[in-house]
Amino acid sequence: MVNLTIDDKQVTAPKTATIYEAAKMNGVNIPILCHDKKLKPFGACRMCLVEVEQMKGRQIPACTTPVTEGMIIRTATPDIVKARKMVLELLLLNHPLDCPVCDKAGDCDLQNLTYEYKVDSNRFSDEKFHHEIDYNNPLIERDMNRCVLCGKCARICDEIVSYGALTFIDRGIETKIGCEFDEALNCEFCGSCISVCPVGSLLARPFKFKARFWSLTKEKSVCGYCGTGCGLTLGVKDNKILTTIYDENQGFHKGQLCVRGRFGYQFINSTKRLMKPLIKKNGVLTESTWDEALGLVAGRLKDAGSVAALATPRLTNEEFVLFKKLLDENVGTKNYDHAAGYAHSALTEGFVRSFGTSASSASILDIQKSDLLLVIKTDTYETHPVVGFEINMAVKNKGVKLNILSDKRGKLSKLPDAVTLVHRPGSEVALLNSIAKTILDEKLSNDAVASVPGFAELVSALSAFSAEAVADQCGLTAAAIKKLASDYASAEKTLIIFPTGQAYTGHNADLASAVANLAILTGKYGKEGCGVLCLSEKNNSQGAVDMGFYAQNGGLNGMQVLDACTNGTVKTLFIAGENPLTTYPNRSKVKAALDSVEFLVVSELFLSETAAMADVVLPVCSFAEKEGTFTSADRRVQYFKPAIRKNVQIKTDYEVFSDLIARLGGNAPASGSAVFKEISEGVPGYQGMSHVALKKDSAFASVVITPAFVIPQATSAIPVEQGKLALVIGSALYHNGTLSQYGEGPMHVCPEGYIEMSHSDASANKIANNDLVTVSSATGSLQLKAKISTRIPAGVVFAPYHFSDSPVNTIWSGSPVTFVTLAKR
Amino acid sequence: MSDVVAQQAEETEPEVDLSIADAIIDKYIDIPGNLMPVLQAAQDEYGYIPRAVADHIAERLNVYPSQIYGVLTFYAQFHLKPRGKFIIRVCVGTACHVQGAPRIVETFFDKLHIGHAETTADLRFTFEKVACLGACGMAPLAMVNDSTYGGMTVQKVDDIVADYSQRPLK
Repeated sequence: MVNLTIDDKQVTAPKTATIYEAAKMNGVNIPILCHDKKLKPFGACRMCLVEVEQMKGRQIPACTTPVTEGMIIRTATPDIVKARKMVLELLLLNHPLDCPVCDKAGDCDLQNLTYEYKVDSNRFSDEKFHHEIDYNNPLIERDMNRCVLCGKCARICDEIVSYGALTFIDRGIETKIGCEFDEALNCEFCGSCISVCPVGSLLARPFKFKARFWSLTKEKSVCGYCGTGCGLTLGVKDNKILTTIYDENQGFHKGQLCVRGRFGYQFINSTKRLMKPLIKKNGVLTESTWDEALGLVAGRLKDAGSVAALATPRLTNEEFVLFKKLLDENVGTKNYDHAAGYAHSALTEGFVRSFGTSASSASILDIQKSDLLLVIKTDTYETHPVVGFEINMAVKNKGVKLNILSDKRGKLSKLPDAVTLVHRPGSEVALLNSIAKTILDEKLSNDAVASVPGFAELVSALSAFSAEAVADQCGLTAAAIKKLASDYASAEKTLIIFPTGQAYTGHNADLASAVANLAILTGKYGKEGCGVLCLSEKNNSQGAVDMGFYAQNGGLNGMQVLDACTNGTVKTLFIAGENPLTTYPNRSKVKAALDSVEFLVVSELFLSETAAMADVVLPVCSFAEKEGTFTSADRRVQYFKPAIRKNVQIKTDYEVFSDLIARLGGNAPASGSAVFKEISEGVPGYQGMSHVALKKDSAFASVVITPAFVIPQATSAIPVEQGKLALVIGSALYHNGTLSQYGEGPMHVCPEGYIEMSHSDASANKIANNDLVTVSSATGSLQLKAKISTRIPAGVVFAPYHFSDSPVNTIWSGSPVTFVTLAKR
Repeated sequence: MSDVVAQQAEETEPEVDLSIADAIIDKYIDIPGNLMPVLQAAQDEYGYIPRAVADHIAERLNVYPSQIYGVLTFYAQFHLKPRGKFIIRVCVGTACHVQGAPRIVETFFDKLHIGHAETTADLRFTFEKVACLGACGMAPLAMVNDSTYGGMTVQKVDDIVADYSQRPLK
């Protein structure tokens, strides 16, 4: 700490602080335009000029100058105020004063400073700029006439997003922020640039002319898409969500959002939302009343022996508990699951075997504290973009090493010094086992490891996995595998990250145990910056696991439930929010199951293709219309309250389940907080939590690790089918599950399914970008648009799985690798 | 003027041979701060920086394409359009101006049907007005590539254009 004087006040500040930071810590506000606490100091705008007695007569920028012992700083002398006024006059010289039609008005740093410094006249005059406004994309408007060249957009796009869409182009008075060759903006549309723009140069187009900023109510919530658990501030007016608002202090991610979080909110107020219960009468879904619909459902649920349920991992923890209670106690069935049963197996089987707990042994906060990250699949960026930002920052700002094992390259591969081992699709587990084998052979394992249960068996089982033995199977060299093993073992703090989800069938219990073996062998778990982080797909996937809403004690799992529907043992299927017809493997099998089941109930926001097949459809609420808690992938439990009032005609899933419990003669808990009390008493790690406490701040559910080695099964190379391409499916950056199809933003930039392929496979099949291609596998064929990219290795094709209009499960039956042929239409 | 612009060579950017760029990049790839030398060498080889070359350099050096464009537009030394084989530069500095440089410039415009910083469609000539060539004693002054022409007159413009029009392009 150093001692200094700011505006005649004796204060202290850390040695590393800048004058700006020291002042802020001590309650003195220095005006800024180009500075952002998340970005490196830049010193462009000169608004933060201060006087330091030791540097006589000079005005120095507070945002770039570090404090020193004994500094005497004055932040608001008449000279300083004069200088700041002049800076504003010069900025306003070119900045158009079109505040009445500017969406930024009311939230504009330049406007606020102009007001604060009473700049009501300008001694200079000059022409305004006449740059063309970029309206070429539907999400981000770029009006460079309003730009003050603070560079925050370009810097956030580089330092945090690592996309680099924007930069300073041209020189002198002509300088502006632009893209390559001054083209239209075409990026991943996370909107980070909008969030930091101090003026109205970068604006969210979906919000244009919707409302004045000051008429919005800011409602804190939690994002309802992926498992990262980002906080969200929703801008609400007249009970409608009109935009998302940036709050730099919100959450671990400091308000950073991805395209889904920022632009995907429209599904909440969508006109396509279901508003009335529907009952199938004479083969047609007809509007009905809640009483009739729930009465019908309750009647069917009484036949305990033939009931099964599938739930989406987007329900709240309270709803999962209630649904489970309904099924366990009032219906009397054990046949319930979420995420098709396999997407959570990494946690519920893999981690349970290896760590004795169904949760990750590390948190997202460990990413920036680690020394080396081992990421399984570059898709991690696409599935969890804000975790991707954390990885970007760790690598770019903290010098954390990044090693990637993946079946394709990706955005993460482009990070400085990132090492990407592109292996054959489906060979992940063999590869991880050979890394473990190398660690053992080279004596890089932790000394205490021999006492971990299963060590001796592991040593003998791994003998089949020498780097030389699996190198061919993985399409890598033994040397590359060995190098990776020694890098992993020799770094002091290492963290393994892998995504799971319905598209990633290969990221199963075996993969989870294989990575866990690595962490346990080297003792890299249970301490800061170390461990294994499983990024589960949806916003409450981890909560669904924690609440125990999955097949246990002989209950049928997700895929088995569908089989039982087909063979008639399950006669009533309750689907809460899942859309198996699009997201579960093997569409014809799913369709047959849903066709065969006698009675299908679907509670949904929208009339999804699954809901369209139902006998009863129950209209339910989105996260923004209910209260509850979500548990993020790293087990951060967050409370959220309704951001808007729900339509009186619809119910929350919570209300549906409690109504059904009552109809079946049971007693539903009085409230969500009462349910949460049960959770805090019964669920390991949730002790001491309550809605009241979580309203103030989120909390991590603690994880207790009991390590054990899991003996790897022998793996064999997936036989390559001659003349065919290996299809891997996964997530597109802009989407999460099928919900994002109703978020307008994601659909603007990624409206349909596609098949991504290498240049060589494209030219071998005479396919050009955007050609319609028929993709055929053993189970069917599907037409998809071709997308040619450099990131896909030859022999591999990739397709995202989110789209109802081009359902990939017609050609995918759940295997991690599907062999397909391509034919240009 | 619009006709002249339509004749500009930029619209028909020829297929570029990226192997030349690859050879340059291979030479500099392991050197920190390699972007400037790579761009300079590429311009020497191609005569300008074609879009495809800029994108290729971005991909191989792992630099954002936007940043490459930022560098290319910051430095006056880089050109984004094909340049003529013969670069005609006419000084419009003070000494040349008073000695009649504006008429010399106009005459070149009329003869070549191009304006300032433009290139003829056959890629023979690029014309540039420059501030001072540092030889005010020879005003008004013109240069064609490295050859200097002092005491310029309208007649001399004809001679220069006629002379260089006959020289081989390859």
